[in-house]
Amino acid sequence: MNHNFDKLHEIFDRHPKTQESLIAVLQDIQKEYQYLPSEALTETSKVLDIPLSKVFSVSTFYNSFSLNERGETVIKVCTGTACHIRGAKLIKDQIESLLNLKSGETSKDKKFTLEEVACVGACAMAPVVITNDKYHGSVKVSNVKKLLKAK
Amino acid sequence: MQIANPKQLNKIRKEYLAKQDQYPKKIMVCCGTGCIANGALKLVDAFRDILKKRKIKGFTVEALKETGCHGFCEQGPLVVIEPDGTFYSKVKAKDVEDIVEKSIKKDEIIEKLLFTDPVDKKKITKYNDISFFKYQKRIALKNLGKISAHSIDEYIAYGGYQALAKVLSKMSQDEVIQEITKSGLRGRGGGGFSTGRKWKICKDIKAEAHYVICNGDEGDPGAFMDRSIMEGDPHAVLEGMMIAAYAIGAKQGYIYVREEYPLAVTHLEKAINDCENLGLLGDNILKTGFSFSIKIARGAGAFVCGESSALMKSVAGEVGEPRAKYIRSVVKGLYDQPTVLNNVETLVNVPIIIDKGADWYKKLGTPKSSGTKVFSLVGKVRNTGLIEVPMGITLREIIYDIGGGIIDNRPFKAVQTGGPSGGCLPESQLDLPVDFDTLTEVGAMMGSGGMIVMDDRTCMVDVAKYFLEFLVSESCGKCVPCREGLFQLLKLATKICEGRGEEDDLEKIEKLSDNIILSSLCGLGKSGPNPIMSTLRYFKDEYITHIKDKKCPAGVCRDLITYEILDNCTGCTACKPVCPVNAITGNKKELHVIDQNLCTQCGACFAVCNFDAILVS
Amino acid sequence: MINITINGRIVQAEEGEYLLSVLKREKIDVPALCHHDAVEPYGGCRLCTVEITKKEWNGWSDYVTSCLYPVEKGLIVSTHSTKVNEIRKTILDLYVARHPNSPEIKELAEQYGVFETTFETIADGDNCTLCGICTRICDEMGFHAISLVGRGHGKIVAPPLNEAPPDCTGCLSCALNCPTNFIKFKDEGDYRTIWGKKFELITCSQCGKKTITKEFAQYLSDNRDIPYEYFEICDECHRKQTALEMGKIANWTREEQS
Repeated sequence: MNHNFDKLHEIFDRHPKTQESLIAVLQDIQKEYQYLPSEALTETSKVLDIPLSKVFSVSTFYNSFSLNERGETVIKVCTGTACHIRGAKLIKDQIESLLNLKSGETSKDKKFTLEEVACVGACAMAPVVITNDKYHGSVKVSNVKKLLKAK
Repeated sequence: MQIANPKQLNKIRKEYLAKQDQYPKKIMVCCGTGCIANGALKLVDAFRDILKKRKIKGFTVEALKETGCHGFCEQGPLVVIEPDGTFYSKVKAKDVEDIVEKSIKKDEIIEKLLFTDPVDKKKITKYNDISFFKYQKRIALKNLGKISAHSIDEYIAYGGYQALAKVLSKMSQDEVIQEITKSGLRGRGGGGFSTGRKWKICKDIKAEAHYVICNGDEGDPGAFMDRSIMEGDPHAVLEGMMIAAYAIGAKQGYIYVREEYPLAVTHLEKAINDCENLGLLGDNILKTGFSFSIKIARGAGAFVCGESSALMKSVAGEVGEPRAKYIRSVVKGLYDQPTVLNNVETLVNVPIIIDKGADWYKKLGTPKSSGTKVFSLVGKVRNTGLIEVPMGITLREIIYDIGGGIIDNRPFKAVQTGGPSGGCLPESQLDLPVDFDTLTEVGAMMGSGGMIVMDDRTCMVDVAKYFLEFLVSESCGKCVPCREGLFQLLKLATKICEGRGEEDDLEKIEKLSDNIILSSLCGLGKSGPNPIMSTLRYFKDEYITHIKDKKCPAGVCRDLITYEILDNCTGCTACKPVCPVNAITGNKKELHVIDQNLCTQCGACFAVCNFDAILVS
Repeated sequence: MINITINGRIVQAEEGEYLLSVLKREKIDVPALCHHDAVEPYGGCRLCTVEITKKEWNGWSDYVTSCLYPVEKGLIVSTHSTKVNEIRKTILDLYVARHPNSPEIKELAEQYGVFETTFETIADGDNCTLCGICTRICDEMGFHAISLVGRGHGKIVAPPLNEAPPDCTGCLSCALNCPTNFIKFKDEGDYRTIWGKKFELITCSQCGKKTITKEFAQYLSDNRDIPYEYFEICDECHRKQTALEMGKIANWTREEQS
C-alpha cells in the first residue's frame, strides 16, 4: 500500500528520540494512517534507535494498535462488564449480522471495521458503541441500524 | 505571568471571585464523556448562540460553565442552575431557549425537564433532594459538576493550590508524610496500602531519581471514577502529584492515562500547560526551590498495565509485562529508581487532607478505612452513575437508597465488586459495610470501586465465563498459571455454559484456581480465579443445574434455552427484521413463529418485543 | 554471608543473591524450565516455586519463584513440600495439555507423576513453551533479532513483521539453547536457513568443513577484535595448528636443552 511517508518525520520530530516515546510515536502514526504500516515500523526503529524486533513486540502487544488497514468507519462495541450485563453481546451480534463482519474484521469495500473494546468508562450509559470517536449510549437492538447509518 | 508566592495565588482567587459575583446565576452544563455522547456540546453551542444574539442582564458567557461529570450519566445531558441547585435532566438543544427565558431571566422552573424519582415517581427540583445525590459525601468529587473543567483560574478561585502553597512554604517533607499517614488514607485503586507509608519508604531510599506516577489506567470494566476525575477536575490530580513529589523528593512525574480516555488526556494536557504558564510546574515553584514537571504517558489498550511494574514498563516505551515483585516498585520502579505509584482518587484526596487536616479526614469512614470512596454503581439498578460515600456504608444502602433499587422491580441476584479481581455477593451479604477489609473476608473485594448490580436475568456461570474471557484476552502471557491456567478455567466454564459440564468439573475448577492463585506472577493471575470462585461459593446450585439438568435458570446460556412466541403475539413484526438468521416468519397482524432449527438464541427478538409475547425457557 | 534454612538444613548464602543459585550450589534439584545461566532470570514457568516462611510469620507461608527471590537472613525454605509439589504438578499438567507432542515436557512431567493431562489438550499445540530463553539470549548476544510477539495465549516467538529478521546472523544461539528443540534450522550445502533467512556458511580453508555464517563471523570480527580471517579456519583445524606449533616449540626446547 503506497502511503505518503513524509508525514512520518513530522511525527518523529514531535517527540524526543528515545524508547520512552515509542508508544506515543506509534499512536501518532496510527492516528495519521489509521493503522501501523510496516514501513512506518521500520522507520521508527531506525529513527528512535530501537531494534525492530522490540518495535514489533510493542505494536503487537497493545490492543489499540492495528497492523492491518482498517475501514473508513471503525465501529467499537464496548464489552465491559456493565455493557455486558446490559446486552452488549446482543448488540455486537446485530452489528455483525447487519454488516456481515466478524469482530476484528474489515469489510471488503474498506467501509467498516468492527472491533471490541474492553471498557471506555461510559458505564452508566451501557451498552455503548463508538463509531469513529463518536459515542452512542444506551444502544438498543431497535436503533442499531440507525446508528450504523449515522456518521 | 508566573506566581511568585502564595499571596499571589490569593490575589488570583479574589479577583476571579469578584468577577464571578456579577453573575447572580450560573449555568453548569455537564460535559463529561457520557453527556457529550448524549449531545451536551450542542447545548453549550445553543447557549453561546443565544448569548451572541442577545444581551441578558446578569448573564454572559462567563457564567456558563462546562463542568466535569456529575456522575448521573444516564440522565444526561444535565444542566444545573446555581446557586439554587435547580436540576434539569435529559436536556435537548431545543430546550435551551426555554431555560434562558424562564429559568435565567425569570425564576421559573420548567417541569418537563425535572428529574422524576424512579421509586415514588415524584418530580424533584433541586439537585440536593435527589436521592442519588442526597446521600453522597462528595470530597474527591467535590469539584465535579461545580466548576469549569478547563479553567485554572476557577480551580484556584475555589481553593485550589492552597494546599500546595501550604506544603511548600510551611511543611517539611516528613511533616507532609506524617499528616498523610495520620489521615489513614489508603490506596483507592484497590490495593489499600497506606499512602503515607508508601511515600515514606520511597523517600528514604537514596537514589539518582525518585518518580511519582499517577495510575490513570482504570482497567476494571464497569469503573469510570478516575475518568470523571481526570476529565472534570484535572488540577486536583496535578496538585496531589505535586504534594507527593515534594514529600518524596521527585523532580519528574507521569500520569499514565488509559488509551480509551481521550478527553481526560486533553483536559490534563491543558491543565499542565496552564500550570507551567503560571509557574506552578517547572523550576523553582513559588520560588521555594522545589522543581517538578509532569508528562502524560498514554496507555495503548492493555488491562495488565494497571499493574504497577507493567505500567512502569509501558511508561518506558516497552511491552507491559509485569515482573516478580519481591523487590517492590517503591524501591526499584521506573528505570529501576524508587517510584511512588498512586491511583487518581488517592491523589485528589491529598490536597483536601492537607487543607482540612488528618483529624478531620479520620472522622469520616471507619477506623481502618478512613475517608470516602467513589463507586461506579452500574448494571440493573435504577439510578446508575458515580457516587461518593463514606467508607462503612452498607451495600444495601448503596443499591437501594442511592441506586433506587432494581430496574423493573425485578429481584436482586448479586452485586459484583472489585472488577475482574473481585467477586459476586448475594442478597445475604448486602448488610456488610463496604471498606478495604470486610468484603475480602467473604470472597469479594472493594477493589477500585466498580459495583455492578445483577438481577434474576443474569446467569452467574455466564458472569464467571465473561470475566475469564476478559482475563484470558488481557493476560500478558508470561507465566504459565495465568496464560494456561485461566485458559483452561475458561474452557471449563464454557463447557458448563454449553451444557457439556461433567460431575468432577467443579472440583477441577477449585483445585486449578487454588494453584493459579498461589503460583501466578502478578495480581492479574493471582486474582483471576476470584470471580469463578466467588460465584461457586454463593451460587453453586446454579452451576449444578447447568451440569446435571443442562438448564440455565436465568435464561442466558444460549445452548440451554429456547425462544418461543406466545399466543398473545400481535403480529407487529418488530421482531422479524432484527433476527440475524431470519428465523421468524409471519405476516402483519398474524401470529409469528420462530423456526427452532435456525434460531441461534441470540435474544434480539426478545429485546424488541413490546408485548411480552416471547418466552425464554 | 547469612544463614538460611533449606529443607531443614542450615546453609550459607550471600544476602540478596537469588535463591535458585543457592539451591544449585547445594545440589538441590528444582525444575526451572525458563532459566538459563547466561541470561537474567525470567520467572515465567513457575516450576522453581518453593515454599518460604520465617519465624516471625507465625506459620504463614508464601510461594515464590526461587529464580528471582533474593535471600534474606532467617529465611526458611521448603523445596518439595506437599503444596509445592501440587503447584508443580498443576503447572506440568498445564504444560502437557499445551504441548502434547513434546518428549522433553513429557519426561519432566512424568518425574512429578503427571502421565497425562487432566485438562483439555490443545490439539494444535506446538512445542514452544514460551520460556523466552531464545529471545533473551539473542538480546544478550546483541542481535535483538527475534522477540516475543503478541500477548496472552496467542503469544509466539517470531521475527519482526513475520519476515526474515534483518538483525539475525545465524549464530544458532537460540536453537541450541531451546529446551524443547523447537527452533529448527537447516544446514544444507553452502547455506544455512533459520527464521526464514538464508545465510552463507564459511568453508574451512584447511579441511573444507562448514564453520559459521559469514554474517556471524563479520559481527564477531567487528565487535570482538578478532580478524575475520580467523573464522576462515574451523576450530578443529585451529587446534591442529596450535598443536603443531606447540610441538615445534617443544622440539626447539628439547634441542636447546640437549
